[in-house]
Amino acid sequence: MGSRLSNIILLLTLAALFFFPRFVESPYAFHIMILLFLSTIVGTSWNIIGGYTGQYSIGHAAYFGTGAYVTMVLMKDKQIPPWLGVWAGVALVIIIALVIGSICFRLRGPYFVLASIAVAEIMRLSAMNLKELTNGAEGILATELPAFRIGGRVLTDFVSKTPFYYISLVLAVVTIVVAFLVLHSKLGYCFQAIREDQDAAHALGINPTFYKNAALVISAIFTGIAGGFYAIYVGFVDPATVMSLDISVQIVLVCIIGGIGTIYGPLIGSILIVPITEALRSNLIAEAIFKTGMVSQESHFGSFLKENLAHAHALIYGILVVLVILFMPEGVVGFQRKLWSKWNKGLG
Amino acid sequence: MTVFFQAVLSGVLIGGIYALIGIGMSIIFGVMRIINFAHGDILMLGMYLSYYLFALAGIDPFVSVLIIIPIMFAFGALLQKVFINRMLDALPQNQLLLTIGLGLIMSNAMMLAFTSDYKILTTSYSSASVTLAGISISEPLAISFLITAGITALLYWFLTRTDTGQAIRATAQDAQAAQLMGINVKRMGMIAFGIGGALAATAGALISPTYYIYPQVGSAFTLKAFVITVMGGMGSVVGATIGGIIIGVTESVSSVCISSGWKDVVVFAVFLLVLLFKPAGLMGKSRM
Repeated sequence: MGSRLSNIILLLTLAALFFFPRFVESPYAFHIMILLFLSTIVGTSWNIIGGYTGQYSIGHAAYFGTGAYVTMVLMKDKQIPPWLGVWAGVALVIIIALVIGSICFRLRGPYFVLASIAVAEIMRLSAMNLKELTNGAEGILATELPAFRIGGRVLTDFVSKTPFYYISLVLAVVTIVVAFLVLHSKLGYCFQAIREDQDAAHALGINPTFYKNAALVISAIFTGIAGGFYAIYVGFVDPATVMSLDISVQIVLVCIIGGIGTIYGPLIGSILIVPITEALRSNLIAEAIFKTGMVSQESHFGSFLKENLAHAHALIYGILVVLVILFMPEGVVGFQRKLWSKWNKGLG
Repeated sequence: MTVFFQAVLSGVLIGGIYALIGIGMSIIFGVMRIINFAHGDILMLGMYLSYYLFALAGIDPFVSVLIIIPIMFAFGALLQKVFINRMLDALPQNQLLLTIGLGLIMSNAMMLAFTSDYKILTTSYSSASVTLAGISISEPLAISFLITAGITALLYWFLTRTDTGQAIRATAQDAQAAQLMGINVKRMGMIAFGIGGALAATAGALISPTYYIYPQVGSAFTLKAFVITVMGGMGSVVGATIGGIIIGVTESVSSVCISSGWKDVVVFAVFLLVLLFKPAGLMGKSRM
């Protein structure tokens, strides 16, 4: 693809996304877009440690959950507005990432994966047990958000989804830009050298522990911000929705499906996954099946679909991952690149 | 003091089950160098099989083990043939993700089929216990411990005394050399995954009278299984047995001494300490 053409496509997409709220009114469409941006943010930030540096952390729920909990607790208990509280969350996330890094980066390959899971599980269980702070398994509910003001002027009161849309859009763009800049800087070259061959990189004078920690901290910061955003957007946090192993796994799967180690992989993965899973979760697909008339809503099978299809989204994740790993291990983006280069060769 | 001994004893009993789960994962890792993330989900399938064999056919869970072992052996071997064998040369991370995907499919397919409601298998002896010198022993746990011990002994005999068992161990030591000696490595992989699956499902059947049965029950056991496997030294059967009992006792003692909410934190902390200071596992480098 010519780079001028792709730049034009990029600008048009951004413009379309910017004006999207002018033309679309359905809050449901907003919801999907916000979740899509959120998934892109966490996927892109995971990609920095997992894709570029080759350290498959399956414990990113620790950072997501910490960002979410700190933002929420500060808002509920200390009345600190979330756009300030999230930075306290980021500070804590950095500390946690450095602690996790100092433990886990002594280990390589599958051992690192297991250690990252163990640490995230310790965090989740702590969130369950520190009841005075986190309200345990019941979670924390926030029914209203303070209005966002600058110098007495109310900018937005967060009643509609529009402010959330723009916040998440900006965060997603910033995350992708940062990932791009990191990838094409000296830092990014060191990350990739470690991914390709840690010992060779070490021999060339790259300190693997330092650069792995750097990658983890950058990755954790954006994951933590995304967690804080998610907490105030949904207005609810509990260990199962922000700290569980499922969250860590989903973050990785989005990247795998889109294409690990590529800039647009997490975005593509999110575009493929988020709409399907959300449509299943909100029973849109079951209703669509009823509309076609193939299955009646009252039949035995119909009521089965209605009750269970909402839970099928994780099944879709599983099937997609198995298919992608078996048939296009470089993900959709890698697969498309392969096709593209074949096509070009065919022409030349 | 009695409370402490009580905790240690019930830890040992449940540790026997954990050992069974750990040995299965350890054999799979030993032969294929794959961490099987679907291990707990296979255990969950064993629980459901045992539940329905009891609910529909009235077969006692400790007897249904005899039916579950061949079924789940075939299931494990099939998983290996259809999925894992294609991935033997792939990146370890991708192998891990493949098993995560397979586990997600198993647990969510079960949820679609049987809903996420908790099922309880109540036998006449589910809550029965025997009291010995002031220490009470849960009857179903004691029986399953004995069955576990029997299976482990049988497995040890199989691995050390039979040709197939020795071929599996040879593959675990050095797959290439084993292939040069005329061992069919892919076949050994299938047998290993079959044994691993059968052991996990057996463990599931054995705990089905004492645990809640639901589609997501697996992931907690997967986590425990790899804690045990790493502690015992990946690929070591003896190590996994000792690791299982250590984890069982740690859990049970810390739930008495600290609180049951924090017991898993203690387990994971112990796990991290082992990873950091003895990454080859407690049993050192020995394999199987």
